[in-house]
Amino acid sequence: MSEKDQYKNRVELLQGTLDMLILQTLQWGPQHGYGIVQALRLRSGDVLQVETGSLYPALHRLERQSWVQSEWKQSESKQKARYYRITAKGKKQLASDLGRWERIVEAIGSVMYVKQEESES
Amino acid sequence: MKWVPSFGFQRRKRELQDEIDAHLQMAIADRVARGESAESARQAAEREFGSIPLVQDVTRDMWGRGWLEQLGRDLRYALRQLRKSPGFTITATTMLTVAICANSTVFSWIDGTMLRPIPGARDMGDLVSLQRGERNFSPTPPFSYLDYRDLREQNHAFAGMLAYHNDWIALTGGAQPERAYIAKVSANFFDVLGIKPMLGRFFLPEEESRAAPNVVLGYSLWKTRYAADPAIVGKSIEIARHPMTVIGVAPEGFVGAAPGLRDDLWVTLDPLGNDVWRMTHRSGGAVWLIVIGRLRPGVSRGQAAQDLDTLMQDIVAAYPDEHLGDNRITLDPMWRSPFGANGYMAATLPILLAFAAVVLLLTCANLATLTLVRFVSRRRELAIRQSLGANRMQLVRQMMLEGAVLSIVAGAVALVLTPWTSKTFAWFFPANAAPLVLSGSLDHKVVIGIAVSSLLAAMLCGALPAWRSSHTPAAEVLKAESASISGGSRNRKLLSGLVVAQIALSLPLLLCSGLFLRTLRNLAAANPGFEQDHVLTASVGLNIAGYSNDQAQLIRHKILDRVSALPGVEVASLTDWIPMTLIQKRNDAYPEGYVPHPHESLLVENAEVGPRYFESLHIPILEGREFTLNDDEKAPSVIIVDQTAARRYWPGQDPLGKNLRVWGHLFTVVGVARNSTHTFVNESPEPMVYISYFQHPGYETIVQVKTEGNPVDLEPAVENAIHGIDPQLPVFDVRSMRESTQMASIFAVLESTLAGMFALIGLILAVTGIYGVVAYRTQMRTHEIGIRMALGASRVDVLRLVLVQGLWLTGIGLALGLAFALGLTRMIVRLLYGIGANDPVTVVSVVMLLGAMSLLACYLPAHRAMRRNPVTAIREL
Repeated sequence: MSEKDQYKNRVELLQGTLDMLILQTLQWGPQHGYGIVQALRLRSGDVLQVETGSLYPALHRLERQSWVQSEWKQSESKQKARYYRITAKGKKQLASDLGRWERIVEAIGSVMYVKQEESES
Repeated sequence: MKWVPSFGFQRRKRELQDEIDAHLQMAIADRVARGESAESARQAAEREFGSIPLVQDVTRDMWGRGWLEQLGRDLRYALRQLRKSPGFTITATTMLTVAICANSTVFSWIDGTMLRPIPGARDMGDLVSLQRGERNFSPTPPFSYLDYRDLREQNHAFAGMLAYHNDWIALTGGAQPERAYIAKVSANFFDVLGIKPMLGRFFLPEEESRAAPNVVLGYSLWKTRYAADPAIVGKSIEIARHPMTVIGVAPEGFVGAAPGLRDDLWVTLDPLGNDVWRMTHRSGGAVWLIVIGRLRPGVSRGQAAQDLDTLMQDIVAAYPDEHLGDNRITLDPMWRSPFGANGYMAATLPILLAFAAVVLLLTCANLATLTLVRFVSRRRELAIRQSLGANRMQLVRQMMLEGAVLSIVAGAVALVLTPWTSKTFAWFFPANAAPLVLSGSLDHKVVIGIAVSSLLAAMLCGALPAWRSSHTPAAEVLKAESASISGGSRNRKLLSGLVVAQIALSLPLLLCSGLFLRTLRNLAAANPGFEQDHVLTASVGLNIAGYSNDQAQLIRHKILDRVSALPGVEVASLTDWIPMTLIQKRNDAYPEGYVPHPHESLLVENAEVGPRYFESLHIPILEGREFTLNDDEKAPSVIIVDQTAARRYWPGQDPLGKNLRVWGHLFTVVGVARNSTHTFVNESPEPMVYISYFQHPGYETIVQVKTEGNPVDLEPAVENAIHGIDPQLPVFDVRSMRESTQMASIFAVLESTLAGMFALIGLILAVTGIYGVVAYRTQMRTHEIGIRMALGASRVDVLRLVLVQGLWLTGIGLALGLAFALGLTRMIVRLLYGIGANDPVTVVSVVMLLGAMSLLACYLPAHRAMRRNPVTAIREL
């Protein structure tokens, strides 16, 4: 798959879902910005490619809202990096984001199913 | 302050850079691990990352601005706005500066006098001033040494209690005798005040009641007369021709325990041991001490007063004959201690501060009007900014900042000016015999005062309009702009309210200053009952220079002979007291067989006067005779009483030949003098008795001369005549009676000067305020007026339209102000003379003045509107 194709497959992240994705990624353990990008790409099967221009503003915003905390640590490869860790407040936010996300998916799903049934009949 | 946030910002910027670098390094490392070459890995990673500056920029946006950074931005905006309208900025700053400076000046006077009554003393709040008997302005020292010692030793409420007696004395031994102000003090004087010696030591307890010719020098005397000699301790100096040993020097700044009066040096109560009588008696001349106590921690003034009252009752019961009259004890905090200058200050300065505060309020109201008018004309800008996403808080903050910037600048200017204006206090006090040290002081309290005034001003002239404006919905303003004819009803109401407030606040200022000015005129025109214009007085330091009694009497006779013979002198006499100089002497006096009521004050004022004293002052003797040279020590004791004393002791009887007991001596009344003013023109007459100078020599020797011409012309001749007897005779305070008696009206001068200035400012503010609002509103209605005129309204109609509006405001303002003023004048009623607090003439003229000025202020814009061409008026806008 060429790089160009990869770009085509990218999904425009719905507004607000980026926060949820970042928080979810951090659920698995503290991570730096690069790690988050990699994790999201890996987990989504190369579909979700977060742009740094969205990621870093989001991280800094989350930190300001106290949903994540950051500290400078050495990575396994001896690289000094800024690690983000989800806070209790962040976990609560994640739960509520997830709930909302599920409701939206459900709502969209039900709309789509009705349409399908209608077009089939 | 600016360093901290920018430092934090720089640090975060650096951190973000590090974070991005780390990101790139890890991406490169991953690619290299997958087998890419270092160079292509770097390029790919950078490409993947995207524009670094862009990422940095959008990330930084997320940080949100620190409040300080935001403040900085708002501040720059506010400054830009103020720069755009320099007229407004300069006017507003000047007005605020004047108002704040008025407050800080008066406050610095209060601070320098009432709040720092004893410079250098420790824990001033614990010090209280003791007064026995009747309370009045400038009472005489209330305690004898024995009474003081009993109270000091037996009380349970005080950590310490000191006593002192102010006097003056001649420093002899130099080429010319020099007058110095001396205080005789209890040995614990410095201890109780908490003063530590700068050199040497202070007095020891055992030195208090026995002869101990030791002296403590004041700092300035040590500096000036003894050239700051560091080895002065142990040296002998000559005081009133007696050698005394210097044992210590007081620290700089400490000038004694009487608020507002200076001591140059201190000795113990009886340093030479020749005043045994005064130290061992409890009445008459032995009542000579002023007492200050330091309360024990946790003891209230009320409890302490009760404690002392009980003790005093015991003393009175033990020595009833020595304690006739009123013996109740009252305690005052030092800021209003009746001894020294603070009694007068406490009656005057707080009222002046209240006036200054009204001026500040008035200024703020005026500025709020101006600000509001400016904001209304900036409404469109504000509404646009609001619809572009500026939130309301930001707008409010910016408006408040404009007010704050003005106030801070004004406060800063006031801070620079106050050190100078606070010194003007001294201008009000003419030269006189008392060592007054009254000046404003500029310490942290004044600075805090200025800051508080600025803050208040900022709140009132920035926050109020901001709060009002923030309530207008943006859409409404944008929409209303085109149709608006008078700036919206909300603002109209607020503007009207502010104008009414300005008129209502300035009226009391005008009324009070009117009353003060008339008081001053009445005081000047009042007849004190004695001649002021052709009288010269000169103090001769006979006692203080250390002459014996016989020597002194001889010199006094010589002085009278020589001065009487001078050309231009009509009459020369002697006295130990000059009326209306804030100095009084009081003594218990009662006729033989008189039974006083419990706590009845038997105090009479008294003076020792020589032959022809009454003639020299043109005070008529209504019955009997004046003193003559024959009323001397060998002759029977005689006394002259004034009408008040005669009425008090012998109502309905002929006082001539009656006997009166003063200081335990029996005197026979030989004359009745007409009442004359003793201290203040507006005093209630107190009984006065005169004693023959050559029978009982007074403490002061004051030559009093009735001159043919201008008394000032005779000053050198009189001085030379006295020095002709003995060149070493100290002669002080040679001045005309008119100059001396100015002391009695200094407070009236002070009050009327300041009140007059404040009222003038108030008048200007109120008139410009109403002018500004009416002019602004008329301008807003130009379009409407044009239409009205085009439809046939006459010019008179237009005039009426505009005028009526202004007159309503004036009317309401005057009514409110009058109510306010009539309530306020009650506060100053004690300071008035010859005029009621609600004097109808003053009230009517002040109301007329303010009304007329307001009318004029309304007429100008009305006149302009009337003369407009309706066509151009309609086209406008």
